[in-house]
Order: sequence, then C-alpha cells, then structure tokens
Amino acid sequence: MPGPHAPDIGRDHEARHEAWEVALQRGGLPDFVSGRLSDAAAGKGAWVATMTPAELLIVRSHGIRPIATVSGTCWFSYGRSWTEGHAEGWHEALDRLRREAVAAGANAVVDVRMRTLRHRIGTSMDFTLIGTAVRLDRLEPSAEPVIATVPALEFVRLLEADIVPVGIAVGARYEWIGYRGFGVSGGDRGSGWGSNWSSSTRQTQWQMRSWSNQPLIELTDFWEKIRREAHADLRRAAAAQGNGVLAHTQFGQLIKREQDKAPPAFLGRHIVIGTVIDTRKAAPFLPGIQPVIDMRDALSPLREPDRPRHSAYHSDVQDEEGGI
Amino acid sequence: MAETGDIPQHALARLAGLRNEGHPDGVFTSDFSVNEFLLVRKAGFEPVGLCVGSCIYHVGFQFAGWSSSVELDVLSTAMYEARALAMERMRAEAQSMGADGIVGVRLTVKRLEWDSKVLEFVAIGTGIVHAKGHPGFKGPKGQPFTSALSGQDFWTLLQAGYRPLEMVMGSCVYHVARRGPFAALSSIGQNIELTNFSIALYEAREIAMERMQLEATNAGAEGVIGSDLHEGSHGWSTHVIEFFAIGTAVVPLEGGSHAESIPDPQLVLSVNS
Repeated sequence: MPGPHAPDIGRDHEARHEAWEVALQRGGLPDFVSGRLSDAAAGKGAWVATMTPAELLIVRSHGIRPIATVSGTCWFSYGRSWTEGHAEGWHEALDRLRREAVAAGANAVVDVRMRTLRHRIGTSMDFTLIGTAVRLDRLEPSAEPVIATVPALEFVRLLEADIVPVGIAVGARYEWIGYRGFGVSGGDRGSGWGSNWSSSTRQTQWQMRSWSNQPLIELTDFWEKIRREAHADLRRAAAAQGNGVLAHTQFGQLIKREQDKAPPAFLGRHIVIGTVIDTRKAAPFLPGIQPVIDMRDALSPLREPDRPRHSAYHSDVQDEEGGI
Repeated sequence: MAETGDIPQHALARLAGLRNEGHPDGVFTSDFSVNEFLLVRKAGFEPVGLCVGSCIYHVGFQFAGWSSSVELDVLSTAMYEARALAMERMRAEAQSMGADGIVGVRLTVKRLEWDSKVLEFVAIGTGIVHAKGHPGFKGPKGQPFTSALSGQDFWTLLQAGYRPLEMVMGSCVYHVARRGPFAALSSIGQNIELTNFSIALYEAREIAMERMQLEATNAGAEGVIGSDLHEGSHGWSTHVIEFFAIGTAVVPLEGGSHAESIPDPQLVLSVNS
C-alpha cells in the first residue's frame, strides 16, 4: 500500500535535466535510466510490458521474458527539408530506442509503435518510438537487439516461420518540377531556394486549360518517379538490416505552386515506412492452416464497418431529391 | 524452462546479435501485413517488390441537358482510361521485376485540391513470384496477373482451385435528369415511383456491370470474384454520378479444382474478445 503522501515530486529536477543533456550530447543514457533498465535486466523490481495476457502466455511458452518498456524520443526540426527531416527524426529516435534496449540486456524490442504528438511547433515535430524489451531465456544479451514493430503474438509466429523482424526502414523522396528558384541548397519547404532549374511545366499548364480528356503525362511521370525512388530508398535502407520490408505507412503529397511570369511549379514528396525482416529465401512455412468460420458478429462480412453491404439506412443517406 | 525448440536456428542466431553475410538475392519490398506475408509464402510464392502505377488525369468537359438522363461518355471514358493507365503502369513495373503477378492491389482516386478537373489515380500492390518458378500463374498474354485480393484471400482462392487472372472493371458516369416543376407537383402527397430516376440509376448500374463482365469474358475468365459496385461523385454536380464495377477475374487451376478434397470449415466462436 502506498502511503498517504505522493512520492517526492520534482525533488531533483535540475540534476535530472542536466543528466539528460549530457546523455543526449554523448549519445548515451542518463544514469537513472540505464540503472533502471539494468536492474530490470537483473530481475530487480517489476518488469513492464505492453503485452496482453494472451501474448504473455505465448511468449512465455517460447522462453521469451519481458524486461522493460523502452522508448526513444527526438523532437526534430525539418527547417531545410520536410521529407528528409522525417527520415532523420525517426533514425535518431531509433538509435535512442536501441540504446535503451542494449542497457536492458535485450535480444529484441517487440511491439514497437511509432508515435508523434499532435503538437507541431513551427517546422518541427516529435518522433517517438515505444516498445517492450524482451530477452530469450537461452540467449546472451545482444549488442544489437532487433527492433520489431509487430506485437508479441506476431513476433513469435514470424520466428517460427524463420522470419525475424529486425528493424524499421524509411524511404523518403521529394522533388520540384518547373521551379524557378536559385541557389544550390535544395529543400522542399519552398523557402525561395530551389534545387535547380528543372524542366518547365508549360505542357502541363497548357493541358489543364483544355476541354478534353487527357492524361497529364509529364506530371504523372514526375510523380511516379518520386514514388519509385522513395521505394528504392526504402530498399536501400532495408538492405543494411535484412532482406525484406513489410511497408505499413505510405504518405505522399503533390503540391502546386503558382509562379510569377512562369508556368506553375509542382512539389512531389513521398514517405514510405516499413518493418524490415530477415529471412531465408523461400523458407518453408510449416504449420497447417485450418479453415474456420468465426461466429462472432463483428467479423461477419455483413457487418463490415467501413463498407456496409446494406447501405439503405446508413446515416449519411441523403433523402432530398437533388442528393443523388 | 520452457521449450524454445520450435524457433529455427537462423532466427535464434539473428536474435543473439549475429549478422548474416549479406543477401545475394537482394531485398524485397511489400505492403503485406504479417499474416498476409505468411499466407503468400504458404501458397508457395515470394514477394519481390512494391509495384506502383499512377495517372494524373485532366478530365474533360461535357454538357448534359437539364432534363436528359444520359451517359456522360466523356467522363466515363476519362474515369476508365485513367484507371486503366495507372494499372498498366503498375503492371509494367511488375513485369520489369520479373513478377508473376500482383496481389493486394488497391486502386484509389483522389481529387487534387488545386484543380477540380484534375484527378489522381493510383494503383499499388505487391509483386509476387512463384518460389519454384511454376510458369502457370501468369495473367493474360503472359503478363503478370493483377488481383485485388489480399494475401489471405489469394491463398484461399488457390485452395479453392482457382487462380486470379486480372482485375476487371467497368465505369459509367451518368447524368440523371432533373424533374420539371409539373412532374414534381404531381407527386406531392403521393406514394409513387419516380420512374425516370429508377430507369436512370438502373441503366447506369447495368452499363457498368455489363462492361466489367465483358472485360472478364474477353480475358478468358471463368468468373469474377469479389466484385462490387461503387457509387461516387468526383466533384461533379449533384445529378452526375459514377457507377464503377470492379472485381478480380479468375480461372480454374490447371488440372481443375478438386472440390471433394476441400475441407469443411470448422465453426469456432472466439471467446476472448
């Protein structure tokens, strides 16, 4: 039972603050963090996991022990390039998460979630990763714990299939077309510094004034190239860690910018983020699969929440004559 | 101590911090979920890479009279052609990767905020290849097949004795006539069918479905699975509506399906949710 008084709050605020500053500068962790994590690794104090009871059951049956919740946070300013800033912000957070995992003597961090606060201050934002450090009973601590964005249940299933989720890869790319800027320091914030005198969008402009159907080939090629390069970037980022990516996040924008006495410029940017896996080519997946029909109503195709089969009495049905 | 025997050696080595000496086969990309990946593998396929095709399209102008119920063929053509172009570019990328086909294709249409006449069409999916190089899974004309089915559905479809051929679609943009003041007056206070509206919507849906079905037949499909009819309005006036039919055309696997060997699904009720 805790006593009637809260524990000393704000006691050593300044000392802690300083410890953080030193740690971030040196690329390490404050003593109280590494101390807490190594205690957890040694079995002193309670372990902390984001797992559900079902997940605890299956990881225990496979000799995997939760140690501690670990995190990495980086508030990063993308003053030069929004696109590249995202990749850099996540990488820094990833390094810090890995540092904590090493301090906790982990083999892996599972259930890693990518979080950001909804507060964007100016051209900066928060990049945070949170996960559960785990240790395999029969293995020594790893100097390079794997970072798995999948929950514990899926983690174990992947391991059984000889697939190891090892990390996170980010592919990011941006480019301008038709931008009449000057200077060499490229950026996608459009702050007056274009990357080059890239080709004109005169053809696109002309086509957009037309009355007839037509694909905007110039713009399509430009936009597709950015996406493909982002994917190639993702491939390269993944190659350093494993041999496959399960990409779960895709985000792209195509922005038009009017220019004085010139056809408009377009900015395309694309970010793709995924879980890197390491596996043997064509490793067999042995467990048999049994077809079952789950009798829960929520899973019935008749009740698909986002795509109702029966839309007649849906709340957004418009009943006015003009609302077809 | 609990048993850890069912985790393969390679996986354990990696968890202990040991690195592989590199991967000669390169790196694949995909947008699979974990279960999707496992089932694509179970089906005997390996992912090769994300395939993306897009088309930014300037939709032309077409006038429709106030009182005419009529297909707006300029818009129908635009909506079909733009999607087909996006799919074609996606398929070309898959071909260049040496994929047998693309699963989990998502087709999206987005209005760009800076021009109401410009629509962005994107087709994206994961290119896969048969792990043992079986040649019998290609789509029409030896090109990669395309399928809107997820990895799970892909596995299940193969179990059922079918393989995907290609995504087929039909589009019909229709202008529904407005009712004149006299017609509107005559229906006040009455339960009565507005036949002109019935006919317009009925006809537009029929056209979209006919086109999809014809496309499947021409591709040599036995049937179309997962078909659906979408209604949409892409920034048009209230009486202009698109009916879009889409589905995955399928053919029986070589050797036919052995329906008698398909196990009956077991009924389960999950109690932990």
